[in-house]
Amino acid sequence: MAPAAPHLIDRGDLLAALDRAAARKVTIISAPAGSGKTSLLRAWAYRSDQPHRFAVLQVQRDQRDAQQFWLALLTAVRHASGTASRGEAPAATPDFHERAMVDRVLSELAGHRGRLILVIDDLHELTSPEALAQLTRLLTNLPGNVHAVLTTRRDLPLRLHQLRLAGELAEIRAADLRFTERETRELLDASGIALSEAGATRLHQRTEGWAAGLRLAVISLAGHPDPERFVAEFSGSDRTVAEYLIAEMLDRQPDEVQQLLLRTSLLDRVNGELADLLTGRPGSEGILLELEDANAFVISLDPERTWFRYHHLFADLLRLELRRVLPEEVPVLHQRAAGWFIEHGQIVDAVRHTQAAGDWPGAARLLADHSFSLTLDGQTQTIQALLQAFPPGAGHPELALVHATVDLAQGRLGEAAAHLAVAETYTETAPPDRQRRLHVAVASLKLSLARRRGHFAGVLEQAKFLASPVSGQSDEDIALSSDLRVMALMNLGIVEAWSLGLPQAERHLREGAVLARRIGRPYLEVACLAQLGFASKIRPFAITRRRCQEAIALADRYGWGAEPIVAPALVTLAANSVWTGEFDEGERWLQRTERALQTDTGPGIRLLVHVASGMLQAGRGRRHEALEEFTAAEHLQSQLQGSHALANQVTGWLLATQARVGLPGEARASLAALDDERAGSGEMGNARAVICLAEGNPAAALVAVQDALDGTAPVIGYVTLVETHLLAGLAHRDLGDQRAANQAAEHALGLAEPDRLVLPFVMTGVENLLEALPRHATAHAALLTDILDVVHGLSLAAKVQSSLAQTEELSPSELRVLRYLPTNLSRPEIANELSVSVNTVNTHVRNIYAKLQARDRFSAVRRARELRLLSAGPMR
Amino acid sequence: MDPAPVRYAIRIHGHLGAAVLSAFPALVAQHLGADTVLTGLLDRSALFGVLAEVDALGLELLEISQLTPQRRSPKSGDSC
Repeated sequence: MAPAAPHLIDRGDLLAALDRAAARKVTIISAPAGSGKTSLLRAWAYRSDQPHRFAVLQVQRDQRDAQQFWLALLTAVRHASGTASRGEAPAATPDFHERAMVDRVLSELAGHRGRLILVIDDLHELTSPEALAQLTRLLTNLPGNVHAVLTTRRDLPLRLHQLRLAGELAEIRAADLRFTERETRELLDASGIALSEAGATRLHQRTEGWAAGLRLAVISLAGHPDPERFVAEFSGSDRTVAEYLIAEMLDRQPDEVQQLLLRTSLLDRVNGELADLLTGRPGSEGILLELEDANAFVISLDPERTWFRYHHLFADLLRLELRRVLPEEVPVLHQRAAGWFIEHGQIVDAVRHTQAAGDWPGAARLLADHSFSLTLDGQTQTIQALLQAFPPGAGHPELALVHATVDLAQGRLGEAAAHLAVAETYTETAPPDRQRRLHVAVASLKLSLARRRGHFAGVLEQAKFLASPVSGQSDEDIALSSDLRVMALMNLGIVEAWSLGLPQAERHLREGAVLARRIGRPYLEVACLAQLGFASKIRPFAITRRRCQEAIALADRYGWGAEPIVAPALVTLAANSVWTGEFDEGERWLQRTERALQTDTGPGIRLLVHVASGMLQAGRGRRHEALEEFTAAEHLQSQLQGSHALANQVTGWLLATQARVGLPGEARASLAALDDERAGSGEMGNARAVICLAEGNPAAALVAVQDALDGTAPVIGYVTLVETHLLAGLAHRDLGDQRAANQAAEHALGLAEPDRLVLPFVMTGVENLLEALPRHATAHAALLTDILDVVHGLSLAAKVQSSLAQTEELSPSELRVLRYLPTNLSRPEIANELSVSVNTVNTHVRNIYAKLQARDRFSAVRRARELRLLSAGPMR
Repeated sequence: MDPAPVRYAIRIHGHLGAAVLSAFPALVAQHLGADTVLTGLLDRSALFGVLAEVDALGLELLEISQLTPQRRSPKSGDSC
């Protein structure tokens, strides 16, 4: 909001009223157009003795997009608080959660030191009903240091009864804003207009104290040779006040000013360059500045005074006048403006003006080309508004693509598919210069749709177009297709991760993230990285953990830490923690995932949450709860078309848990119902073994795991084999072969060591097996201790993530020695185990103590645990 | 609620000039003393569109009347 221009009088009574009202929570100024609401606010805000800070938002004309409204409000608040430079600027996202956004605004407001006045001007322009509802919530929950002032032309359905009853609501209405006769005289005096008392009275009567009328009159009266006559003629005319005075004002302007005002009236906002374009003459900027200085209803929008807008009433009347005097110019002007907006990448304005010019096919093409990018910009609701502006008859076929994009963005998959089919049909018959773009757009949307529906095969089919190079096209082509390309890479990567084509998945997701960064799409970059975290789940856990944390950190920077896109990373991190026995941490990550999944994001991610929850419950020994979770996961699984990577794991755990809670018969029946391929997997072998053990048949259990032990049964990953060995161990023990049982347990520990897996041991219930293991003869004493701690219900303290930089890295040989420190083997015994000399071991131990800043074996081991050195991943 | 268009007369204070009249293409204007009466066939959406325009242009609304008698038993909530 720019400071008030000179010549406005100081309406002391009203300013005092505002001051008094500011002691309450909310002030509503409700009065028709031109009553002087904005001017009054400006005078109040820029008063020299005004102690409070102001955050001002002027609602855009016909604002139907709730997200745009809230973003603008958040930006205004941050600006006033001075936090605008902290962190990333809030950006629109394709997934918009209004409630979360309002919470963000509330917390930003609460964080402001001192009193803040929040001004929302032209609230009647906000036509989104959801936004109004949330605004009510905001206003009723304003922190104590904030006072809100709303201006509007008509009373709005804001349910503020609570505030009214509590006396926290102040209202200023049209009657309060009308100029009194005295104020009229003051205004005339301040503008240096010599008018008799009678003349002033007549002016006041004719305008009825209407602020806009008075201001217009003053503009014409200033420097007028015969003010009395002007007022006399004005009073004698039957014309409406606004029309008469605007006509007078315009007449008085030099021709170039008139042309400027008329021709630019069709813009929502104007700058010098645009105005020059529309008038065909240079020098517009100077005129605009002069007009603002003369307080002629021109208002600058930025501190540098490069962009301006006209008072809405003024602009509306000018626009009508333009249509009357230069009707044939109107479509031309709209087209010219559209061209300028296209050049400057402001597509929404460009489409509006193309529509206004009556070029429906052109508008359709523009919208079709950019609708995808616009949804990524979070402008889905704006696109819908633009779509609605197309007359029913002008159903240009390219609009089907736009409809499909909006449907997809808002989760209406069936309708999206129908619209896509129409768009695809059209593509075949489209003019050749359109075909390539439409082809790419259709393929990308089909890919997104297939991924959302879980049609994995369909996705791989659609990704063929990715093979074609992006070069050799216009800059605009590249820009448009880059957005599509990133989405395609991401969707492809997601599907590949789910269908087990893992190396490709990582490659595509990484490519997507890199491209997203290059084209400045942080939202997509976060999405790709989060999915990459999930896709890494079979990598060494340290790598997975790092990737997930990377994605989450980037999301947090932009304020997207609670958005659904980061959920894959959150849930993977949760699972990761549960695998390593850190149940409390796992639970925290799971809770964060739940919060991020407020809207339904499809069966895929919910499945993961159930699996991770099931793992957590199993780890805590709550078998029935675990069974519930696995059952829920299995149910969601059946909703996915095509199998997914974790299917066998989910089913396997479900059946095993059933057997463990005393339902081996049911488990067996479900097992029998599986097809041969699934039944032959290592995971099912494990389940079968659990069932056999529950039925008291260890021999059969051994048979069940044989293929996995041989390596002839396919497994999802090595984690399955850890369980396999443990189950073999239990079977051997039940058959009386303690040596074989110990061997099997040792095998399992060996497999689990690099990532320090704890969960399989807890889930399989091998407490006795492990305790029977001779402590001194195992190379995995540290891990064994941790596992037994967890089994006995002692939670592993969240490892302190001290930066490794504080400690020098241990060499591989040192790490090998480190692994033996937790045991009670002497140094000669360790040397023997490692087939090196005692001197070598001594040297290593000395270095270890030095690097870990430890004095003895005990503190060395403790420090090593803190730094997770006892599971440093693959030995290089 | 009756969706069919109804004949309305909307009375505005002052004489409307050609430019402002062009904002109401569906209506015919007549001067009545110092006022202008706009008459035309409007369904409900169109009626509220006209009212929004009256608001936007800062015109003073004096009266809205329905001209065509609708039905024998008047429904409540539909009179203006």
